[in-house]
Amino acid sequence: MYSKEEGFFKDKKKTYSVQSVKRIVYSTDARDFGQAARSVPCQEACPAKTNIPGYIRCIHDKRYGRAYELNRMANILPGVLGRICSRPCEAACRHGEPDNGTSVGICHLKRACADLKPASHKIIEGLYSPTDKKVAVIGSGPAGLAAAHDLSVFGHKVMIYEGQEKPGGMLMYGIPEFRLPRDLLMLEINNILRMGIQITTGKKIGTDIALKDLEKEYDAVVVATGCVIPRKLGIEGEDLENVHNGLEFMAAVNEGQAPYVGKKVAVIGAGFTAVDCARSAVRLGASDVSLNIRKTQEYMRIDESEKHEAAFEGILTNSLIQPSRIIGDGKKVTGIEFVRTRMEKTDTPPFRTSVLIKDSQFTVQVDSVIAALGQGPDADGISRDLKKLKSLGDLAWKGKVFATGDFVTGSTDVITAIAGARKCARLVDEKLIGEKRRQTVVRLEDHKTTDRPRAYDFISRREMNTIDMEKRLENPANEVETGFDETRAFEESKRCYLCNLKYEIDPLACIYCSACIDVAPKDCIKMIRNIPLNDDGSYGDYEETSDWNDVVSITIENAACIRCGQCLAVCPMDCISVTKTELIEIDI
Amino acid sequence: MSSQDHYVIIGNGPAGNHAAAVLRKKDKEARVSIISDECIPYYYKPKLTGFITGSVPREDLLVLSLESYARENIRVRLGQKVERVDVDSKTLHFSHMEKIQYTKLVIASGSDSRMLPSMEPYEWALKFVTSYTDVMEYKDQIKNAQEIFIFGGDFVGFKFLRMLDAMGKKVSILIYPHAFWPYNLSDEMLDQVVANLSKTRVQVIVKDDIKDIKGSPGAYRIKTCNGIEKKADLIFSFNGMTPNIDFIKGSGIDYDHGILVDEYLKTTVDDVYACGSCAQIYNPAIKAYTVTIGWPNAVNQGEVAALNLLGDHKVITSVGRKYFDLEGVKIKTTWWKNIEDE
Ligand SMILES: Cc1cc2nc3c(=O)[nH]c(=O)nc-3n(C[C@H](O)[C@H](O)[C@H](O)COP(=O)(O)OP(=O)(O)OC[C@H]3O[C@@H](n4cnc5c(N)ncnc54)[C@H](O)[C@@H]3O)c2cc1C
Ligand SMILES: Cc1cc2nc3c(=O)[nH]c(=O)nc-3n(C[C@H](O)[C@H](O)[C@H](O)COP(=O)(O)OP(=O)(O)OC[C@H]3O[C@@H](n4cnc5c(N)ncnc54)[C@H](O)[C@@H]3O)c2cc1C
Ligand code: SF4
Ligand code: SF4
Repeated sequence: MYSKEEGFFKDKKKTYSVQSVKRIVYSTDARDFGQAARSVPCQEACPAKTNIPGYIRCIHDKRYGRAYELNRMANILPGVLGRICSRPCEAACRHGEPDNGTSVGICHLKRACADLKPASHKIIEGLYSPTDKKVAVIGSGPAGLAAAHDLSVFGHKVMIYEGQEKPGGMLMYGIPEFRLPRDLLMLEINNILRMGIQITTGKKIGTDIALKDLEKEYDAVVVATGCVIPRKLGIEGEDLENVHNGLEFMAAVNEGQAPYVGKKVAVIGAGFTAVDCARSAVRLGASDVSLNIRKTQEYMRIDESEKHEAAFEGILTNSLIQPSRIIGDGKKVTGIEFVRTRMEKTDTPPFRTSVLIKDSQFTVQVDSVIAALGQGPDADGISRDLKKLKSLGDLAWKGKVFATGDFVTGSTDVITAIAGARKCARLVDEKLIGEKRRQTVVRLEDHKTTDRPRAYDFISRREMNTIDMEKRLENPANEVETGFDETRAFEESKRCYLCNLKYEIDPLACIYCSACIDVAPKDCIKMIRNIPLNDDGSYGDYEETSDWNDVVSITIENAACIRCGQCLAVCPMDCISVTKTELIEIDI
Repeated sequence: MSSQDHYVIIGNGPAGNHAAAVLRKKDKEARVSIISDECIPYYYKPKLTGFITGSVPREDLLVLSLESYARENIRVRLGQKVERVDVDSKTLHFSHMEKIQYTKLVIASGSDSRMLPSMEPYEWALKFVTSYTDVMEYKDQIKNAQEIFIFGGDFVGFKFLRMLDAMGKKVSILIYPHAFWPYNLSDEMLDQVVANLSKTRVQVIVKDDIKDIKGSPGAYRIKTCNGIEKKADLIFSFNGMTPNIDFIKGSGIDYDHGILVDEYLKTTVDDVYACGSCAQIYNPAIKAYTVTIGWPNAVNQGEVAALNLLGDHKVITSVGRKYFDLEGVKIKTTWWKNIEDE
C-alpha cells in the first residue's frame, strides 16, 4: 500500500525507499491554472469543474465508489446529473474535436459510477466544527440543496424553506420521471439533508413568511427560488381551454395528474421543457405530437440524444415557424395559426436570428397547445427588497441576503445552478466567519506512464440502451435509459485520453532531434520562438516558427495533444515528462 | 472569363455534374473538381433497381465515363469522403486526413435512405437501395434469395417490388402509412395501390407495424404488431430519402432538413451554394423552404447554382410537371421522371 503521509510504499513483502515517493506540488500560479484549463477542456467546460478524467480513470480501475465521490465533491448529485445533465463537457471533449472521432460519453459514465458503486459505499464529507451561525435557504432546487450542503459542511445550522410539498425544485416538479426516477432523486437529496439540514415544506416566503422575518432570525439568508413565472406567448387565444403552459403542465404530470391533451398536440418551444412536455403528451395518449420551433433544430437548447428520443417516440419537429394566433370555438382550442420564418445573420452570437416571412400564415387543427417558452424569476413575489441586491455575476448579495441559482441567472441548467450555489456558499461562509476558508489549487504530481495504449483511441463510443416503445407507454414512469453495465462502462472509460496528464519537454535536456515531431499523430509538438503571457498571468498562444535560428524550444501544445505517448516512447534523451494536473479544493 | 478560382463540387450526381459542366463552359481557366465518396463515375441512380435484378448491365448504369471528365478538364476525386467544411479558411477536410482549398463551393451531396427512428433497433437487418456501393454489397444475395420482405413503400420501393415479383421471388410488403414519400397518398389512392398489387403474387400487409425482427441474413423472422409472422432471406426498407448533410454540421452553414438556401441557391455562408436533393430551397411563391428529391430538378438546380456562383441572379423554378404512374395511381409531379423511359 502507498501512504503519502509516511512518504514510502509499504507492501506486505517489501518496503520501498523514500526516493520512489511521488513529488506532489500544490500550485496557485496563474500559469498552472491556465494550463489546466487549456489541457482538460471537459473540466474547464463543466461549470462545477468536475474532475472528469479523474473519475473516468477510477471507473476504468473499477473503483466506482471513488469515482462517485470525485463527482460528488464537485456536483453533489452524481446519480441525478448522470441522467439529466446538459453535458457542456461532452461538447468540449477533445475526443470529439475534428479528426479525433466522437466525444467520450462523460455523462453516461457519471451515471455508471452512481449505478455501479457498491451498496455499502461510504460517503465522504469533510466536516468543519460547528459554528453558532444559522442560515436560511429559500428553495430546495439544485441550487438551494447545494448551498445548504456546503453551508452545513462549513458547520452552520441550515434550515431550508420550500414552497412546494416535496423538495427538489425542477428536479421534482419539472423533469419527468421517465428521465429521472424519484427514488434515486430522493436518495441523493436525503444524502444532503442527513447532514443535519432541516427543511420546512409547503411554506412560501413572501406569502406565508416574510423575508424580513427570516433576516431577523438568521445570520444569513440564501434565496434560491429559481425561475417559476412562465413566459407568455402573447398572442390571441392564449387563454382558451386546453392551452397549457409548459411549467404547470409538467408540474401536474409529475404530481400524477393527467391534463387533457387529446390526440393532436402542438408544443411551442425549443428547450428542455418543450421536449419533456411533448414526450409526456405521448405518454398521456396523444398520437400526433409536434414540437414547433422558430429557428432550426441546430439551435435547440437540448442535446442530440434528447432530440433523438423525441423523434423515436414519433414526435415531429416543425422548424422555421412561429405561432401567431390560437384558434378556438369560443371555449376550447381547435387550431393554431403559424407564420413561417427565415434564418438571417446577426452580428452577435449565435449570429443567426429568425425573421418572420410576411403573409406566410397557415393553420393546423389541434386538440391542445402547450406553450413552453421558458420562465423568469419571481423577485417581487418574495420581497421588493431583492431588487437592491448587488449582482456579482452568477450570484447576488447585500447585507445578510444572498441569491443564487436560476433566480439570479435566469433559466439555465442543473449543473450551472449547483456551481453558482457552491460559490455562493463560500461567500456566505466568508462573510459569517470573516475570512476565506477554502481555496482551489492545481495539484501537480509526477506520473510515469500514459496509462493507456494507443489502441484505445480507436474504440467507438458506447451508446446508451433504452427501453422499447411498448414499455415506455405501459407505465409513463418507466425510466427510458437503462444505464451501462460494467462491461460497457469499462469500454467507454478506455476512450478517455486522460487529458489531465500533461506532457512536457525539458528544454535543457532536449537535443532538438525532432524525433517526437516525426511520430506525433497531431499538430501537437511545436517549434516556438516565444510564449507570451496573458493579462491574467497565464500562458497565451504559442508563437511558432519554422526558422531554426529562432527556435527557443520544442514544446508540446497540450491543447492539441491526445496523450498517445508516442513522443515519450521515441525521445532518445528521456526528456519528456508526464505530470498529472488536477484542480482540487483545499483548506487555507 | 478567366480566373484563378478553384470551384469544388461535393457530389457526383446530376446536380453536381450539371453544375460542373456549366462552370467549365463559362470559366475555361478555373480548376473544377468533383468529389464523390463512391468509386464509380456519374451514374443513373434510378437504374439501380434494374441493375440489382440484372436487367441493366453496369455499362448502361453510367452516364459519363472517366475519360469524359478528363476531356473536359474536370478533376474527379472518387472514393473520397468530405468529413468537414471549414468555411473561414475555405478548406474541405477528407476522412483520409487530406485537406483541399476551394474558392467557391457547390454542395450537391444528394440524399440517403431515410431511417425511421422507430426502426433503428433493427438497422442491422435492413438493406437500402441508395447507392451503387450499397447495392454491390448484396447484389449476389438477391440472386439466391427466395423470400424478400419490404418495409415501407415509396416510389423506388414499388418499382423494386415489381422487379422482384417478375424475377419470381416471394415478396411481402408492409405498407407503412408515412412511406409514400415524397407524396402523401390519400386513402382512396392507397386503396387503388393495394387493389393493383392484389393482382400480383405480392403479399400486402397494411395498417400494421413491425414489432420485432430476429435472425440473421438468409434467415430472418419478422413479427408484426397484429401478430403476422414472416420469414425472409432479405429485408429492405423504402421510407423515402433524407438529405446527406452531416459533414456540414457545425460549419456555420445553416441547415434544417436540408441545407438552407435562398431562391438563388446561396447558403447562409458566402461563396457556398447548394443544389439538388441535399438543398432545402426557399420558394418565394409559397413563402416556405422545400426539399425536392428527384432527377429533373437536380439537373436544373445544378445549372442554376453554377450560373449564380459566377455572378448571375437566376431564381430557381421547378421543372415542368409530368405524370408519374404509381401502381395505377397517376401522380403529377415535377419531382420524379421515369429515367428508364429516356
Ligand atoms: C421541464 C424542465 C426540464 C428540465 N430539464 C433539465 C435537464 O434535463 N437538465 C438540466 O440540466 N436542466 C434542466 N432543466 C433546468 C433545471 O431544472 C433548472 O435550471 C434548475 O433546476 C435550476 O435550479 P434552481 O435551484 O436555481 O431552481 P429550481 O429548481 O427552480 O428550484 C427553486 C425552488 O424554489 C422554490 N420556491 C420558489 N419560490 C419560493 C418561495 N417564494 N418560497 C419558498 N420556496 C420557493 C420552488 O418551489 C423550487 O423548489 C429543466 C427545467 C424544466 C422546467
Ligand atoms: C434507387 C433510386 C431510384 C430512383 N429513381 C428515380 C426516378 O425514377 N426518377 C427520378 O426522378 N428520381 C429518381 N431517384 C432520385 C434521384 O436519383 C435523385 O433525386 C438524384 O440523384 C439527386 O441528385 P443529386 O445530384 O442531388 O444527388 P445524388 O445523385 O444523390 O448524388 C450525391 C453525390 O454526393 C456524393 N456525396 C455525398 N456525401 C458526400 C461526402 N460527404 N463526401 C463526398 N461525396 C459525397 C455521393 O457519393 C453522390 O455522388 C431515384 C433514387 C434512387 C436511390
Ligand atoms: S478525452 Fe477525457 S479528459 Fe479529455 S476532454 Fe474528453 S473526457 Fe475530458
Ligand atoms: S503524447 Fe506526444 S505525440 Fe502523442 S499527441 Fe501528445 S504530444 Fe503528440
